[in-house]
Amino acid sequence: MSQAPHHKPQLSASGRKPSLIGTSPLRIEGRAKVTGAATYVDDMPFGPALLHGMIKRSPIAHGLIKRIDVSKARALPGVRVVVTGQDFPGYTGLYLKDRRIFALDRVRYVGEAVAAVAADTPEIAQRALDLIEVEYEPLPGVFDPEFGASPAAPLVHPDLGNYECAPFIFPQPGTNISNWFKVRKGNMAQGWAAADLIYEHRYQVPHIQHVPLEPHVCVAQQDVNGKITLWSSSQSPFAQRNLIAKALNIGHSQLRVITPYVGGGFGSKAGVSIEGAAVALAMHARGRPVKLRMTREEEFYTTFVRQGLVAYIKMGMTKDGRITAVENRFYWDGGAYTEYGVNITRAAGYSGSGPYFVPNIHVDSYCVYTNHPIGGPMRGFGMAEIHFGIEQHIDQMALQLGLDPVQVRLLNCLKDGQETLTGMIMHPTGLSQCIRKAAEAIGWNAAPPPQDEKSHKRRGKGLAAMWKAPAMPPNPGSSAVVRLNEDGTATVSIGGVDIGQGAMTAMAQLAAEGLGIRVEDVRVNTVDTDYSPYEWQTVASRLTWSMGNAVLQAAENARHQILQTVAEAWGEDINDLDIVDGQVVSYRTEEARPLRDLVIYGLQRPDGTWVGGPVVGQGRFMPEYVTPLDPETGQGPRAVVHFTTGCQAVEVEVDEETGEVTVLKIVSAYDVGRAINPEMVRTQMEGGAVQGMSTALLEQIILKDGVPANPNFTDYRIATAVDAPLETENIIVEVPQDDGPFGARGVGEHPMVPTAPAIANAVYNTVGVRISSLPITGEKIWAALHPQEADPAMTPV
Amino acid sequence: MNHTLHFTVNGEPYEIVAASHHTLLQVLREQLALTGTKNGCEAGECGACAVLIRWPGADRFEPVNSCMVLAPEVAGAEIVTIEGLAHDDQLDPLQEAFIVTGATQCGFCTPGILINARALLDRNPDPSDAEIRAALVGNLCRCTGYIRILDAVKMAARTRKEALR
Amino acid sequence: MQPFDYLIPGDHAEASALLAAGNGRVRPFMGGTDLLIRTRGGFVRPQAVVDLKGLPGMKEIRPGDDGWLIIGAACTMNQVAMHPLVQARYDLLVQACNSVASYQLRNRATIGGNCCNASPAADTAPALYCLEAVAEIYGPQGIRRIPIAQFFVGPGKTALRSGEFLTSLHLPPSPQDARGVFNKLGRTKMGDISVVSVAVYRRSGRLADPTAPATGEWRIALGAVGPTPLRAAEAEAALMQDTSPAGIRVAAALAAAAARPIDDIRASAAYRRAMVAVLARRGIEAVLADLSAARAQLPAAGGAS
Repeated sequence: MSQAPHHKPQLSASGRKPSLIGTSPLRIEGRAKVTGAATYVDDMPFGPALLHGMIKRSPIAHGLIKRIDVSKARALPGVRVVVTGQDFPGYTGLYLKDRRIFALDRVRYVGEAVAAVAADTPEIAQRALDLIEVEYEPLPGVFDPEFGASPAAPLVHPDLGNYECAPFIFPQPGTNISNWFKVRKGNMAQGWAAADLIYEHRYQVPHIQHVPLEPHVCVAQQDVNGKITLWSSSQSPFAQRNLIAKALNIGHSQLRVITPYVGGGFGSKAGVSIEGAAVALAMHARGRPVKLRMTREEEFYTTFVRQGLVAYIKMGMTKDGRITAVENRFYWDGGAYTEYGVNITRAAGYSGSGPYFVPNIHVDSYCVYTNHPIGGPMRGFGMAEIHFGIEQHIDQMALQLGLDPVQVRLLNCLKDGQETLTGMIMHPTGLSQCIRKAAEAIGWNAAPPPQDEKSHKRRGKGLAAMWKAPAMPPNPGSSAVVRLNEDGTATVSIGGVDIGQGAMTAMAQLAAEGLGIRVEDVRVNTVDTDYSPYEWQTVASRLTWSMGNAVLQAAENARHQILQTVAEAWGEDINDLDIVDGQVVSYRTEEARPLRDLVIYGLQRPDGTWVGGPVVGQGRFMPEYVTPLDPETGQGPRAVVHFTTGCQAVEVEVDEETGEVTVLKIVSAYDVGRAINPEMVRTQMEGGAVQGMSTALLEQIILKDGVPANPNFTDYRIATAVDAPLETENIIVEVPQDDGPFGARGVGEHPMVPTAPAIANAVYNTVGVRISSLPITGEKIWAALHPQEADPAMTPV
Repeated sequence: MNHTLHFTVNGEPYEIVAASHHTLLQVLREQLALTGTKNGCEAGECGACAVLIRWPGADRFEPVNSCMVLAPEVAGAEIVTIEGLAHDDQLDPLQEAFIVTGATQCGFCTPGILINARALLDRNPDPSDAEIRAALVGNLCRCTGYIRILDAVKMAARTRKEALR
Repeated sequence: MQPFDYLIPGDHAEASALLAAGNGRVRPFMGGTDLLIRTRGGFVRPQAVVDLKGLPGMKEIRPGDDGWLIIGAACTMNQVAMHPLVQARYDLLVQACNSVASYQLRNRATIGGNCCNASPAADTAPALYCLEAVAEIYGPQGIRRIPIAQFFVGPGKTALRSGEFLTSLHLPPSPQDARGVFNKLGRTKMGDISVVSVAVYRRSGRLADPTAPATGEWRIALGAVGPTPLRAAEAEAALMQDTSPAGIRVAAALAAAAARPIDDIRASAAYRRAMVAVLARRGIEAVLADLSAARAQLPAAGGAS
């Protein structure tokens, strides 16, 4: 920070200081990231004492562990630690404690951790794994959520009834259903009677993986006092501290979690996945740090995956397009442990209407244990999955009735003041605007271009709307500290993580705005639970809104401290003072004083004494208004904090001979309340849309009897630069959120929610084929277009 | 089996001892502490570990995935990593453009993409949109959706052309 | 990755001896793009790798006798695709090389390695089959040469015997008026392993000589639809008789009939078979269009017919 000469503060023509909100300063950590200087966990030096951890994994999907013999592994020179389930028998989990760090008596998915080793080199650790002998007694497995929910299915968790869970989760002991969320609203018989068309259809969404470019990695070390430090690539340093401390029965202040830069998360690094095992190893490593780093293969099926879904949707509609009733059954393939997944099921339930007013609705959302990889949170948290069906269903019914799908959406979409399916009154929302703007930008009503009769390529358009609320407990807290430094700059401490979404930059803007200093003069710290204030988790698109509130409050608190000092020293009314561009100004006397002169040492009063001192502002935020829902009806005054809504429209080209889909253009329009940094909001929209496109066209973890067949980039393809759409358009709609900082609400997850159904609708529009399962492969489209040539057994549609 | 190797990285000469089965990626990250080169898949598929290499006798630098090169192979080679793209404090036009266009989010794929984009502009100073996409097909990015990356490469190409004038 | 030794042989004989003595645990190493993945995954556990790239000729592209072209086995995909002698006469091979993975991987992956892995989906193989390349093999008994179609024996299996390694690929002369098109279908638009690939090649037609038979000699090779790459002989023969739109459709159907695809995680056999017909037809049409465009540029007779 250069010591700039005193200068007049910059005021706009109106005499007000210009706002940083709605401007787009560049990513504050951009230089570090483009030069290779940004440090991620795997980049941190730990010296030659570092031990390399590896996990012994189950090769079978379901079975009893009859015997584990680690003696040969322990005897291998260079092996320092071997741990098994016997060492850490306690249960853990975010919403349902159904999981152990290592399997104890039973394995429930291919890849489950049964033991771990730490050795001097990765090569020795690998050899030690090969020397661990495990004897299993295989059990019949559950590989389908509908079967899993039936009485015929073997039980994956016979002890379900004994597990602790959050009060809003409803496990069904004696079954594989770990949560059953119900909505019962209105009168279904009346709803069906009022309908001119009733249509029911089944939709299927496979397991996919988040594919952060940085695989999961962490390093754990225990010091001589027993205190453990965990360096973790995590979206949830505080949740990791909480869950691991409880699982290992250690005090929270005895566990410190440090999270530097994170190379992408998308939900996979929320909660706890591999970190418990690293801490477990470190507790036996006599002070040596232990690194656990997932290979790309492990990343694909042993951390978190996105749950699979089988959705039955039944909808009634009048001939003029009004929805009269909806009945949904969601069978979630939650995998072997649903500690996190149970809440996805809940979110899907209370969002089960899609963004529409539905007077009569009946939703059953079942989280089903299977012997599949663990379903965890992923960008969209159930919404991408349920909207895949809902948004195709709306289109299909509109077309059957001869109506315009856009008009049907505009007719039914939730408006301010209408009741949602859980009885919550919808807050002001820009959903209708989003639908209109997306349709307009894609040229919805424009005449289709003339078709070249010789070409096998056809063009068409599709559109889908969405809503999503932050899915979380009623009371997840945020806090922030803003400290002023000697040079007048500010350091912001937060507990939320910038996983690429731009949180640090947005927080810098909010802090700068709240204080009255330049964005360049704000530093934002990465997370260290010993020094950073509490944040629940970096999930649910909640940071800009929740942590933003805390940062803004902390900045304003610091500002108030500064102005109080100045008011007292100068003998002025605090209301005549302001901080503009890093200087305290008096609007009365036009006197100005740079912050650096006073934020640490205070100011001298006229009598020569001093007032003030180091300025440390603090802020916190926690929603205090979310109500419980009736367990039988899902009804309650306020299910969630708010809904972010939006719409995407796409133009595609389909090759009728091969079925290949090319996405030409994606338009995204979202109501973000207020865009703190519009350019970063647009990059979220664009990145989410392409991730959504990738999942729509390409992605699926292929599981055969629980064995993943494609845990690598060779056969789990994600969209490349060549696959990305030729054009994107990203439209910001701003209907302010009453409790958001400057009206902001989150938009991190939403951009990938409607992409798949929008593409599916566009495919239908183009070639008249309805693809009800993801991914929408060329082969599925081809099979639907050429049924006489296709092999129905091999190409499920 | 260990090999004593001489090579240069970012213009600096090194002499190291490396095991046969270690990769160039491991050598850079673990022995030389050049951790800007990232390990994303160790299978040559994601491009996060791309570096530029000029083999002995070759006339130009070419990008390779360093996870696919064995350490003993690089004897006598010249290597440029992400840490070597900027000169002194002067960022490469590509680095500048990545910041300005918002082409980096989590940043993990960024070094490999910058390396590969630099190689592209060195062999084709004025690439078309399709050529940029094709050149970057082996660099996976999960955050940005690639569009800003394409914008950044085009912007850097313009900057380089103007600098030549 | 479990430790192994890295060996640089002094000459062909030493390389051969090392490979023979290793009894399968000593692996030939060129670009490593396949071997390193399989070693990391624990599918192979080499004691040592023998780097063949430095042996004389392995990285060379040079003219042989009688208009042949010799490509060293360790030449990278990019090296092959950018070489003027390859570009001048073997555009089909350029297309195939450029379709493999990514630019930076093609700086490592070698044309010889692509053959030696013997993947039925190897992208250079259909081009080499069409060009009727000859594989030169060095081994304990000296040098032998076999047609490329005999080099591929089955999935992951080649004709190489103990102590043998591929030294080069010899391409027969390809006339200036030959045309070839390589089409592949992947899940992503570029760089994927082929779900299906089809190379179509027409060697000498009446581009320069309007009195020559109208059809010329056609060759069609298929990738990823059998245990090895395949030639579609009946389709080729049909095209000699008839290149009308109807004839093209017949040939494409015959190419599909020649395929022996399986169901796997990338596609079903039925889809693969159908796609062979589509890619073959498109390839034939593209070759004809290419020839017709070239003929139109000839000064005199060619364009008139």
